[in-house]
Amino acid sequence: MRKNGAFMGYARKLAGAGVPLVWLALSAPAALAQAPGTSADAVKRFTALTDTYCVKCHNTEDWAGGVAMDTMDLAHTGQDPAIWEEAVSKLRGRLMPPAGNKQPSQADVDAFVGFLETSLDTSPKNSQIGHVPLQRLNRTEFQASLQQLLGVDIDTKAALPTEVEVEGFSNIASALGVSPAFLEQYMAVTRKAVKMAIGEPVPKLANVTIPVTPADPTDFPLGTRGAAGGRGAGMSFTYIFPADGEYHFNVPEEDFVDMGLYPRGAEHPATMVILIDGQEVVRKQIGGKEYLDIADRDGPAGKKVILQKIASSVPVTAGKHHVVITYIERARSFSNDPTGGGRMYQPILQSSIDVEGPYSPTGRSMNDSRAKIFVCMPKTAAEQRPCAEKIAEHMATRAFRRPVTEADMKPFMAFYESGAKEEGGFESGVTEMVVAILSSPDFLYRDIPAPTSSGSRLLTDIELATRLSFFMWNTGPDQTLIDLAEQKKLSDPKVIHEQIDRMLKDPRANTLVENFALAWLNLDELDQVEPEQFSAAMRKNYETEIRMFLASVLLEDRSVTDLLTADWTFVNDSLAQQYGIQGVKGSTFRRITLENQNRFGLLGKGAFLLRTSYGSRTSPVLRGAWVLDRIMGTPPHPPPPNVNTDIGVKDGEAPTTVRARLELHRTNPTCKACHGLIDPPGLALENFDNQGRWREVDVAANRAPIDATTELTSGLKINGPVDLRNYLLSHKDQFPTTVTKRLMMYALNREVEYFDMPQVRKIVKDAAASNYRFSDLINGVVNSDAFRRQGPEETHDKVASTSSNSAPAALHP
Amino acid sequence: MATFLTKKHLSRRTFLRGSGVALGLPLLDAMIPAGTALAQTAAAPKLRAGFFYLPHGAIQNNTSFGKEVDVWTSSGKGANFTLGKTVSPLEPFKNYVTTFENVENNTAMGSVHTLNPATWLSCVRPDTSAKGASLATTLDQVIAQKLGQETALPSLELASETTVQIAAGNGGFYAVTTCYSAPNKPLPMEYNPRKVFIQLVGDYASAAERDEMLRKNGSILDLINDRAKSLGATLSPGDKRSLSDYLDTVRELERRVKLASASDMSKFDVPDAPIGQLEDFDAQLKIMFDLLALSYQADLTRVGTFVMAAEGTDRNYPQFGDTDGFHPTSHHANQPARIAALSKIQHYHVERFADFVKKLADTKEPAGSILDQSLFLFGSNMGNSNAHDNYPIPEVLVGGANGKHKGGKNLTLPERTPLANIHLTILDKLGIPQASFGNSTGVISEI
Repeated sequence: MRKNGAFMGYARKLAGAGVPLVWLALSAPAALAQAPGTSADAVKRFTALTDTYCVKCHNTEDWAGGVAMDTMDLAHTGQDPAIWEEAVSKLRGRLMPPAGNKQPSQADVDAFVGFLETSLDTSPKNSQIGHVPLQRLNRTEFQASLQQLLGVDIDTKAALPTEVEVEGFSNIASALGVSPAFLEQYMAVTRKAVKMAIGEPVPKLANVTIPVTPADPTDFPLGTRGAAGGRGAGMSFTYIFPADGEYHFNVPEEDFVDMGLYPRGAEHPATMVILIDGQEVVRKQIGGKEYLDIADRDGPAGKKVILQKIASSVPVTAGKHHVVITYIERARSFSNDPTGGGRMYQPILQSSIDVEGPYSPTGRSMNDSRAKIFVCMPKTAAEQRPCAEKIAEHMATRAFRRPVTEADMKPFMAFYESGAKEEGGFESGVTEMVVAILSSPDFLYRDIPAPTSSGSRLLTDIELATRLSFFMWNTGPDQTLIDLAEQKKLSDPKVIHEQIDRMLKDPRANTLVENFALAWLNLDELDQVEPEQFSAAMRKNYETEIRMFLASVLLEDRSVTDLLTADWTFVNDSLAQQYGIQGVKGSTFRRITLENQNRFGLLGKGAFLLRTSYGSRTSPVLRGAWVLDRIMGTPPHPPPPNVNTDIGVKDGEAPTTVRARLELHRTNPTCKACHGLIDPPGLALENFDNQGRWREVDVAANRAPIDATTELTSGLKINGPVDLRNYLLSHKDQFPTTVTKRLMMYALNREVEYFDMPQVRKIVKDAAASNYRFSDLINGVVNSDAFRRQGPEETHDKVASTSSNSAPAALHP
Repeated sequence: MATFLTKKHLSRRTFLRGSGVALGLPLLDAMIPAGTALAQTAAAPKLRAGFFYLPHGAIQNNTSFGKEVDVWTSSGKGANFTLGKTVSPLEPFKNYVTTFENVENNTAMGSVHTLNPATWLSCVRPDTSAKGASLATTLDQVIAQKLGQETALPSLELASETTVQIAAGNGGFYAVTTCYSAPNKPLPMEYNPRKVFIQLVGDYASAAERDEMLRKNGSILDLINDRAKSLGATLSPGDKRSLSDYLDTVRELERRVKLASASDMSKFDVPDAPIGQLEDFDAQLKIMFDLLALSYQADLTRVGTFVMAAEGTDRNYPQFGDTDGFHPTSHHANQPARIAALSKIQHYHVERFADFVKKLADTKEPAGSILDQSLFLFGSNMGNSNAHDNYPIPEVLVGGANGKHKGGKNLTLPERTPLANIHLTILDKLGIPQASFGNSTGVISEI
């Protein structure tokens, strides 16, 4: 649907002048067959409904929103599916009639929605199949594919330009363009990734500085300072070593020995421990009297000696390894050196560590990454070229996601030959060849050919495997899926079901949390809001909690409604304290059962509450709009131009609660039309402050008590988060419909159109039996026509047909 | 080669973050490879253009306090004028400065924030019902297509922070960029100074490595070209068009690769390689300005656009009394404290811009200083941030344009003069006259 929910103008040409054609339709002869599922009584009832509540604005004189209902025929809603789908969406969210106007009863609204949906579902015009154009891999898909093909993890968010997002998703085909900056960076990243995976055939001595970053205490062995958490207690990182050899781990000068000569970090003895992939490789005593003596005696030369003593030399094999540096016994050295501002506590490792090497390189051992590439290893010169061909075929098949021919491979073999002339010989040749394969548009682009004639075409098995794999894992299909596709087994729904279950359990399905759920809920970036007294550590807690929570529902295949109602979450000690929960000790995250119902589900999550606030206060408007858009699936309109949108406290006035300042939204009818709808869900959450802590009074407003009562447009009164949640679930299919729509958009790589909605509704109906299990929604999407078929390239515009132009002759007077 | 991280570049928000999540690229050496010098005819002037965008308008005569708090608008007419306080950091360059009154850009009207950035340099209302992006080529890109073909980078698109902000629609085609290289091609605005650095200077440890890389990249581009052509043969018409966009990009990159092998950076003052987006906003602004100045000085580009603050940004400026965030404060509701804070923020950004202008004024080339040969536009696409209106919008023109722009005046234009008229005039001054641009009604002859 459109990004901001704005109503598009639908051109309507009218024959005749304002005659209520609807009435003519009812009295027309039987030649005018009515659409199935619409009894004459129903049409009469709902026409009366629209006359009472809609036609006052939506008529051929006022054209509110570009829609006139006085000339539309409810017996033939199939003639204008785009408009009626929009109406259904607005009715479900109670956006229309606007707040403050006379409202129909919920029973009437429900009945009307049911009527409309039935007739839309059965209308033959509504069976169009959409088209998804040629699509390039976005950053995350590229990253996941490099991981799959090379076993290498590159942070593409840092290395490639930002992508244009549509409704939060960055995998929408029509929005993925290329620019010279993108292509240049993409080529550079590809080359680096291949070199990291293969290793350096002629390794150069390099010195790389790795900054200390906050590490999870569970990375460190028990009994060491790192495991107790806290700043400067150690570091943990993953590094790709370019070749087998000796590597020096040097602590930088600033950390250990100050600008002055006093070796602060070395004053007291400690034991430094280095582990690689969990195995201890270094354990040495550092610091203590000996170090102090050296510093005292030898001055600057002594500094060098100390640094050398602390540095460690370790043999490491090529490839990715996890390195941990930590301390036992005293990690914090006390210093009474006044030049340091009298600091008492000095962590040893403050800023970074240098990794220097490889010294005495001895080649490159086989490791995960190399194993993915080198499906053979030549023992003689004669074996080199044939082996290279084998490697090329293997890599290209997986990268291009299709079988490759010898002709396909010729250009890539030319790169092998040219690279093999370099010092590294065979491996340099393979490096150049693999770089070329991964730079090829066959890898970067994926396409589902359009039907050659009109109508739609069924995807082939391999196309389906690819689409399914990108949907669930953001990368190309693995061997199992490829095999099933080759055996033509993917058309069997049972096989699809099994594969979806398998894929959901695979760690690669985490992309559904990171790139689907977090994007849909707009909780992927929490950096923008900075409340006072809010630490980066707490922000990280929120990030961890929301990811673990989403994974616990989606990846454990529960009902999606658990996202709203779950009585569990994941906390560590500081997050528990933030939420006012007692008895949680330790900085590791663990699952707990919540006792306070107000905290259940997404609405109680710090990530959501923070994201929908400002640095200085809560925003019921942002929260309300979020609920309407992301949970109800019925986004409100943006504000009109030239409206004064500030509600800051005026100088000299006593500070009031946010709710009080928003009163203007309720008293001014122009504001109320939208804000009477948007504010209530946000007001019901006012007990959560702008950091997500529960409060009974508003500290900024002289401790005025929080009032979380509010009235929805339907007239329903609610008070607080529990009532709000119950309201959101009152129509059991509403939230699952939102999830399904978003899931479909993410899976199809295009926006969901009006003609997709009957399929969305079918998926939701079918999933009701299992109470909307996530895998059932996925299954529904994958088995839908929209996913299984490719429609013709679009030449139509989104304007709905003008039904009055094509109205049967009998309607005209 | 050893690498050094000076403390001022060390930022927690580096791409090596998180334990075991992902490893970024190895840090590179700050040594710049030498190559052959670009041949230059001795006194040939080189025109440069630059566009500097600030969101949320400016405090002008658009609050309930009227002219009293108008710190933007110049007072006086013609050559006898005083710069408004906000614009006063440009005082040393007054002879190069033209200020304007009564400028409007109604192509953004009513859009609150979502269309402001993209319509600033296009002056065309986008088709929001279209499937993808549908706007027009922006002014900077029109210029880049004519003036940018001799340099390694036809243009640079920079920002100080991410342009994806909730208040501006959280993404979408028209809020995240001010630059479109074609009606359907929005360009990404780069806010990571490290990536800009690598674009300018490359990621090589030595000149030999650089040459080797350029040669290899050239071969890869040839391969991509061939493969794309053969793939394109089997595609449907719409997909063929997408792929041809891709091929255009490949061709563009090939051109840059050729030019890159001829550039010599050894005589320029190149800053250390930044590690990534800097946490200190002031430092971040400065490094982006420095990199843009460097690219003009080294003739790596002649056209630049810099989004100095993102539309709808929540970044706060506590040193100026703004703790709520730029965007929330911009809804000043006619409160004196907020108006004051906003004025200071706006002044600060002009200050940073003025530092950049000074750098270019001090860089002497055979044909004059870089400022003598440049034409820069600094401004916003919004007027009164409290009402989200687009009239009058604050704009300042700075630079000599090789003698074509005679600054040192304040122009009171006819009411509701389209911003596009200024754009059309800029094109004229840069030797790229057109019949019209966006919704222009004519050239402004007084400029």
